[in-house]
Amino acid sequence: MKASNTRLQAVRDAVNRVDLKNFRFWFQIVAFVLFVYGGYFAIDLGSRLPFFSCGYNDEGRAGICYLLPLQHQLSQPWPRLFSLASIAILTGFLTFTLWFIVLNKGWCGYICPLGTIQDWITALRRRIGIRYSTYSESQFEQLTKVKYLLLALMILIPLGVGGGLFSHDVSPPFCLICPARMVLPAFTGDVSQFTIDFSSKTAMVMTALGIAVTALFLVGSFVRKRFFCFFCPMSALHYLLSKPALLKLKKDGNKCTRCGDCYRVCDMGIKEIADDVTTVNIMTDDCTMCLKCVSSCPENGTLKATFAGIPIFESTEEGFIKRMGKGLQHGK
Amino acid sequence: MSKLNLCVVAMLATLSMNGHCEDYRSGERRVGQGGRPGEAQAAEWRAKRGYPEGKADAADAAATPPVSAAEHRHGGAPAAASGAPAISGKHEEGAHSGGRPGGMRSGGAVWLSDSPPMRGDGSRSGSARGGGMGGMDMGGGRGGPPMKRLWPRVGNDPQKSGFAREDAEAATEIMLVSPGKSEGEPLKMPAENHAGLAFEMPAQGYYRVYLTNRKLQGDKLSISVAKAEVANFGHGGDEEEQARAMLAPRFLESAPIEIVRERQPGEKQFFQLKSGDEQAYLVLQKGLPLQGARVRFVSHQGWSKEAVSDEQGRVVFQVIRDYYPQWSEFQKRFKAACLVIAEAEAAESGSYKDQSYSSVRYQATLSGSYQPSPDDYMSYAWGLGIGLLIVLFCGVAVYLYRRRRVKPFQELRFNESK
Repeated sequence: MKASNTRLQAVRDAVNRVDLKNFRFWFQIVAFVLFVYGGYFAIDLGSRLPFFSCGYNDEGRAGICYLLPLQHQLSQPWPRLFSLASIAILTGFLTFTLWFIVLNKGWCGYICPLGTIQDWITALRRRIGIRYSTYSESQFEQLTKVKYLLLALMILIPLGVGGGLFSHDVSPPFCLICPARMVLPAFTGDVSQFTIDFSSKTAMVMTALGIAVTALFLVGSFVRKRFFCFFCPMSALHYLLSKPALLKLKKDGNKCTRCGDCYRVCDMGIKEIADDVTTVNIMTDDCTMCLKCVSSCPENGTLKATFAGIPIFESTEEGFIKRMGKGLQHGK
Repeated sequence: MSKLNLCVVAMLATLSMNGHCEDYRSGERRVGQGGRPGEAQAAEWRAKRGYPEGKADAADAAATPPVSAAEHRHGGAPAAASGAPAISGKHEEGAHSGGRPGGMRSGGAVWLSDSPPMRGDGSRSGSARGGGMGGMDMGGGRGGPPMKRLWPRVGNDPQKSGFAREDAEAATEIMLVSPGKSEGEPLKMPAENHAGLAFEMPAQGYYRVYLTNRKLQGDKLSISVAKAEVANFGHGGDEEEQARAMLAPRFLESAPIEIVRERQPGEKQFFQLKSGDEQAYLVLQKGLPLQGARVRFVSHQGWSKEAVSDEQGRVVFQVIRDYYPQWSEFQKRFKAACLVIAEAEAAESGSYKDQSYSSVRYQATLSGSYQPSPDDYMSYAWGLGIGLLIVLFCGVAVYLYRRRRVKPFQELRFNESK
């Protein structure tokens, strides 16, 4: 019993000392290959995935982002929408929720191919030596609401299409402006989404808007880390469902010295991670659960990631020093 | 089921799945066009039909019309018939008369349409308003399975064809073949033509309706089979059921003659034929390929092209562009109806309703639809142009903004002596 406890502790120590940056880099590459090229290996994980595995990536996708079928289902004619057919919507939502609660927002930080692309663009910027931008506190407060607005529009517009209030050319509204629709298929050589549809005024506006958002995505990701995640309606939907999630980010405020290291490494620029010393479940709606805050925290057990209540990765002084590449000279 | 039939079923299932088939003898694979069966296979088919060696070839040669250059009425995609020995292009001048099989009173071929004549064609697919041979939107009762309605029409021009009227002298039989079933079930003829043939589609997959007419005209028996294939797929539902439906054979072994649309390579559930696409069709008789059948493709505007089926019963047509509205009225989902008509004659004798006949005239029709090609309304140049312009504009704006905010270096000196 004692021996097994010792072994478990040794494993925990090893995990806590892990080079998270390296681990995450390779994990994201594997996830990217799986969800952008998995279709070529006949992998299909369904159409209820809680991240941007784009359905427009016809050949390569290994599954479909839930937002596409959700918008399709909501744009059904109302008599059908409010009939027994709505069971399909509910079961779809339930499947999405089951996927989601496993990793919570970890899907964004580790799996989402669009998030990975933004991280790669950030790495390129860093290599070139261009500094990144941040939002001021007031800008942050205002912009963080955009994702909820997009989520509301993403639900209301398809309902309007089903009710005959809007043209079918605006459906699926979010997918038409989502940069993943253009960027991800391009990785399999499909650039057919980089077009303007002149068949109607609505289609023309929507496709031009999609191109504009993609251009902004490329520029924005270059100057700001995880630029698009700030406006992502999937992120908003995640947060609304995050209560029962198994993976959680927890903070012990009593151990926090408010040094601010966690805030400085946060790609999203979430200030609460450093300032809030009272909340235990510290994950906010903008968090991508990349766990960089945990790896950069020098205080033992202040920040931790838990899965079903079991700590799987927590901040330790030893891990911090190892990751910072300083060695253990202070401890010796 | 004989070994031969198994072989043909396997071939057709492969065609259905991938749009290509294997030449088992040589091991060569063709995709979308061109392949030929092995000699042994062709001989087996002939033996199955009871042809002596060489007879079929002679009959085919006699049935083959002279080769003429393809003509185009419109300036769109060129029409071509590959894999077929003879081609010709012309515009349909209303319904043909004479020599058509009986069963329906007026001249021209009988076919099944998803819209009645007065409603016109070209309705949008993909919505409750439209319906479609290849669509899934068939309405249906509140909470019930989707419904589909088809109207028997007569004429060789999809737009000008009227309702088909029942002929008392002809024997009519209507069969509905549901997904996953190899046999059909009878479907009731509507009391009035305007009502159409209605049926429910509870399962996902391809529903096929066969309207067969038999009529004796002198010593000739006319058999016509009008067929419609309706795809019923949804975004939700059982994915395994969908996959099974995509793989299932789409022909009826008991059909005296029928046309099967060959699946395109990589075709998925929500496939829609577009102008400019090449589309292959197979002419089958009792589930076996029929060589030498004259096959005509009639477009929405009545343009037609004729080809003769090859040894595999296969013909290929390129769908032309014949939709030229004012740009303000352009609909990218304009569902243009098209019609494929296959005809063949055979020196078969027998008796029908106690009357003998010495030859049989077969006619098969298959209705379908196509939409404008995306090339007609999508522009890469504009897309990339707008994208590059915004990238440049935003890039320069960020650069200038940052440059403006750079504060010039100011040296701060402390005088420690004071």
